Order: sequence, then C-alpha cells, then structure tokens
Amino acid sequence: MSESAAVRATGLTKYFGGKTAVDGVDLSVPKGMIYGVLGPNGAGKTTTLRMLLGIIEPDKGSRAIFGNPRPRAVGDRVGYLPEERGLYPAMKAREAIAFMGALRGLDWAEGRARAAEMLDNAGLGHAIDSKIKQLSKGMAQLVQLLGSIVHKPDLIVLDEPFSGLDPVNQERLEALIVAEQARGATILFSTHVMAHAERLCDRLAIIAGGRRRFEGTVDDARARLPMRAVYTPRAAGADLARLLPGDAEQVGDSWRFTLPDDGIEPLLGTLIAGGHGIAGLSIERPRLHDAFVRIVGRADAGDVE
Amino acid sequence: MSRLARQTAVIARRDFVATVATPTFLLFLLAPMFMILFGLVGGLGASHMASGASGRAQIAAIADDATAERLRAADRALRATYHPQMRPADLRIEASQADPAAQARALLAERDKDIYAVLYGPLERPTILREATSERSAPYLAFLAEQVLRADRAGLAPDAALSRPDIQSVSRAAPSRTGRQSTGFAAIFVVFFLTLLLAGQAVGMLAEEKGNKVIEILAAAVPLEAVFLGKLIGMFGVALLFIAFWGAMGLAGFRLVPEGAMALAGATPAIGWPLFLVFGAAYFTMAYMLLGAVFLGVGSQASTVREIQMLSLPITIFQFGMFGLAAVANGPGSPLALFAQIFPFSSPYAMAAHGATDPRIWPHLLALGWQLVWVALTITAAARFFRMGVLKSGPGGFRWLRRPAVTPDSLTPM
Repeated sequence: MSESAAVRATGLTKYFGGKTAVDGVDLSVPKGMIYGVLGPNGAGKTTTLRMLLGIIEPDKGSRAIFGNPRPRAVGDRVGYLPEERGLYPAMKAREAIAFMGALRGLDWAEGRARAAEMLDNAGLGHAIDSKIKQLSKGMAQLVQLLGSIVHKPDLIVLDEPFSGLDPVNQERLEALIVAEQARGATILFSTHVMAHAERLCDRLAIIAGGRRRFEGTVDDARARLPMRAVYTPRAAGADLARLLPGDAEQVGDSWRFTLPDDGIEPLLGTLIAGGHGIAGLSIERPRLHDAFVRIVGRADAGDVE
Repeated sequence: MSRLARQTAVIARRDFVATVATPTFLLFLLAPMFMILFGLVGGLGASHMASGASGRAQIAAIADDATAERLRAADRALRATYHPQMRPADLRIEASQADPAAQARALLAERDKDIYAVLYGPLERPTILREATSERSAPYLAFLAEQVLRADRAGLAPDAALSRPDIQSVSRAAPSRTGRQSTGFAAIFVVFFLTLLLAGQAVGMLAEEKGNKVIEILAAAVPLEAVFLGKLIGMFGVALLFIAFWGAMGLAGFRLVPEGAMALAGATPAIGWPLFLVFGAAYFTMAYMLLGAVFLGVGSQASTVREIQMLSLPITIFQFGMFGLAAVANGPGSPLALFAQIFPFSSPYAMAAHGATDPRIWPHLLALGWQLVWVALTITAAARFFRMGVLKSGPGGFRWLRRPAVTPDSLTPM
C-alpha cells in the first residue's frame, strides 16, 4: 500500500439544520502515530470523527482511510470507541468484547480467548464473567475500550477516551495507547484535556468552532508562544524594573517576563553588572494549554482543561 | 457480500441469544397455553350454558289425544332430518281445556320453562302464539299441523312411509372448488395469525440499542442494512422456535385424535400437500420479513417507549388490512385477487392461498422472488430513513432546499 497516511481528509463539511457543525476540516494522520484532535466540547470533534469513519456522510469534502475513500469498506481494520458509551447490560464482559470483535470480523472463539487475556492484563480478571450492568461505569468503559481493540485494528479511533475514568484508569489507558502504538497501530483520539495530549500525541490538530485552527507537533504548538523566564534577584532595587523587558511583572519576590529575542545571556550580564545578582532563574516552555488558548482565543477555548 | 452475511449473522446471533436466554422468553413461549386454558374454560362454560338453555326450551301444542299422537309422529319424522345441534325445541302437548286461547297465553307466561310458541285450535285453522324473538318455532308448528292434515286426507297411518330411499356415501375424486378455497383461506389465516402473533415484536427491536447507545457501536462497525436484517433474522429464529414448540405440541395433540386431524385436512390443494406446506412456510417467512422490516423501520424512528406503544395499533390495523385484502381476494381470476397477489405486503398471504386452487408452480417462484426483492427494498429504505432521521446523515429532510448548491465533484464518492 503506497498510501502513507492512515487517515486523510480534505475540506470535510457538515451542516446540521441551518448550522455548520464542521467547516472544511483538513486532516492527515500518518501511519503509526498517536494523533490528537483537540478542542472544546461542541467544537465538531465528534462529528469529524464520525465522518472520517463513515458513520455519517459529509455534506462536502472527502476522506479516505488507508487510501480507501469508502471508510466502511476497511471497517474490519478499524477500532472505534464512541463518545457515547454503551454496551448491552445483560452481556457478560467476555461476551461483550467478543461480540464487538465479531462485528469487526474476528472469530467468536478467538475473541473470547483474547477477551479473557486482555481483561486479566487490565486488572479486570475478576470481572470476566460479570454482566456489564454489574460493573462500575469506569470498568464498563474499559471493557468497551478493550472491545474496540480486540481485533487488533490498524487504526484505533477513540472519542474522548479519558472522560469518565479515574486517574488510575486514565494512566492505564495511556499505557494501553502507547502499547497499541508499539504494536504498529495508528491511534487517533479526541480530547478536551490538554495534559493527555501533551504526554501522548506525536501530532495534533486543534479544532474550534468547526474549523481547524492548528496542525503540527506539540512542540510546534508551543512554539507559537515565546518562552518565559522567571527571575529572582538577590538584591532588589529601584532600577530593577528599568533593566528588565517591558512586559515584566512582579510576582512576590520574582519577576516574570518574555524571553528576549536575543536570549537571556545579555540581560543576565546587565543584571549582574547592576549588582542585583541571581537568586533564582528558570526558563519555562509554554504549556500546551497556553498555546491552545493563544491559538483559538480565550473566547473559543471553552471548557478545555 | 459474504462480509455482509457474516455481519448479519453476528447481529442475528446476538439478538437470538439475548432473547431466548431470558426468563421473559419462557413467558412468551408459554403464553398460548394460557390462551388455550382460558379458551377451554370459557368453551366448557358456554356449552354448558347452551345445553342447559336448550334443555329448558319447548314448543307446545294444545290438542286432544288423537291429534296429539299424530302430531308426535310427524314431529319425530321431521325432527330426524335436522342436525342434532340445529333441532327445534322439544314438542310438548297439552290436553285441551275450556278456553284454549287463555291456556296458550298461560303456557307462554310460564316461568320455569322457555316456551317459544304455542299452537291451538282446529288443525285446518290453527292459531299460533309465539314469543317476539322466536322466528322458527311458529312455522315449524304450522308445518306439523299441515303434515298431520295431509296424512289424514290421504288416509295414511301416522308412521307409514311411502318411499324407501337407498342412501349411498360417495367420496369425490376431485375436490370441489369451494373446498379448495376454504383450504386456501385456512392457509391465509394461519400465515396471518402467526405473523400477527410474532412479527409485531419487530417494532420495538431497535429501542434497546437506542436506549443504551449500542447503536453507535453497531452503526460504526457494520452497515445499518446488516443491523436491520440481522435483527429480523434473529427475531425470526425466535419465532421459528416458538412455532416448532407449539407445532410439536399440536402434533402430539392430533395423535390423540386422529379422526379430528383427518377432518381438518379438508380438500387437497391443487399443488398437493407437500408443496403447499413448503410454499406456506416460505410465504410465512416472507410475510414475517416484509412486515417485520416495515415495523422495524417505523419503530426505529420512534424515540420513546411511549411512541412505540402508540405505533402498535396502526401496525395491527395494517396487518389486518393485508389479511382482509388477501381473504377478500381469495378466489382465482378476479382483478382484486391479482392485485392482492402482486401488492408486496399482501402477496405472501394471497399467494399462500393461491396454491390451493392453481396447480402451476411457476407463479410461486415468481412471487417469492418478487417478495424477496421487496424485503431487500424495505430494509434498505428503513436503514436509509434511520440514517437520515436518527444519525442525521445523508440528504435528509428538506435540507437541500436551503443548502447552498454543491458541485458534484466535491461530493464524496460512495
């Protein structure tokens, strides 16, 4: 297969009623990557994923999975965890996972065997024969996640996979995603929690208001904001503020300012020469969250954490 | 195609297992038992009441002894020609008193017996009083009087017979047209009854998935057509289990009363019993799939259980409509019959009956193919409406009226 992108979309557009939910989104997810789609709730992330998977048809634009313009034709190579979780309550955990595998072309017996193994590895070995309705919400969600990867798909699409999980299970999920990447799968997930994206994503796209605002690596996104320095003088003085860059603001004993374009060294020289000394100095890379707010604007940042 | 079949089988299997492996299924399976039980109790009660009533009912004649004997003889002879259940009320003869008219009125007014009619006066000009609601007793009494007079005039003894009939029983080689039509009607009724009992369930089948959001998983993994068809086949499996169970019970029941089974067999259909039954089973399958697909499609649009409950009435009426159409058109050759056979949703019923009167095989193969096409069409349409209405996808509603023009090359090839 010559196609290097696992997922490619151009100009995806979807109208709901008179409203434009997704407005010309372009996306390209290279094979083997963990790719994040970031944005506040209601930004159009879910609609975009659903169009990519062929659950709904775009009103405009085109998409391809593994080079195939009909995503459903390659459905057996795809695993999907929808945002709206749901399993048959009366099914046992093992059967639920095997059923989801069977929907994607996996043999029932094989699915059951794998289900037991996966549940054991995920620390849910005691729940193999429990019915879904007997599990906690977080456990059921984990079962559903296992069900969406039991057939070892080449592309895994997870819609807000972290929401509803406690921190311990969030960590388990991160490990699972990394393990799936190591197996060779491409992972595409959406989230409105920047911390997960920051740790996991090889590349990411930021969507807000139905439009793609950014595409690149986490570092690319952070590079949108200058680095910031926090400086604590040994001896403060009246002329200190004059020596520091114009945007410097005092926070307790320290000063925060944007790193000058020519680097920190000339400034340090001036400060030492002025007799202020250096009690503390740190240079901070901007966090993804700050970059996100910068990219989409505070008004559009919504509920992003 | 094999992928679609496999996906359909996965859905069907899940539905079948999920339905059968519940305590509710036992209730469903045994429900007809209650019906039979109540039917038996009700039937016994009704027949008891009926026999009690007929035992008390009488017709009366006020006559002297000589006439009484002759009236009784005429009554015996005439009564013997009736079917036991259709016989007139027992004849009671009262000796004539001073005022027969008053005596007759007193008889009619009696409390402990139901007297339908009373005859008094000379046989040449008898007066018959009858209850307002009784219509057949008075002519019967009049005819008895006439018979007695005729025998008198001819000088015949009361029990004398002028003719000696030789009655022979002959079984017909070719069943009558009416017999075959009633076999046809029985086929329509059986197919209809089973569909009515079993296919209506289809209306609520997607409610579960919509309620617990599993529909998102299904819709993502397999085509909606496979979901719909799979659900239909799963439920059909449940229906077959139901029929197999009660079929076996029924056969066991018939073994106890073989004469009853023979009587029920009726007229042999034109295509012969084996083919008639095979086609009957095929038409039941088609009726189930066709109506089930319609109900499933309609039900999938409903968003609440209340809406689904509201839908069950129009659905039952629709089924009765198709049954009525097929039943009215039960008779070869009429334009209405042809219509009922062609119209897809009445076709399985009408064609199930068709084999009773028409010996040709090819119309059945044609009809089954035609119905199969409609099963596919209905499922496709149901899936499409579901995609538009519920998943909000595709060219739904009247959105194209408001939407800016889209150039064809910007559309996703599908």
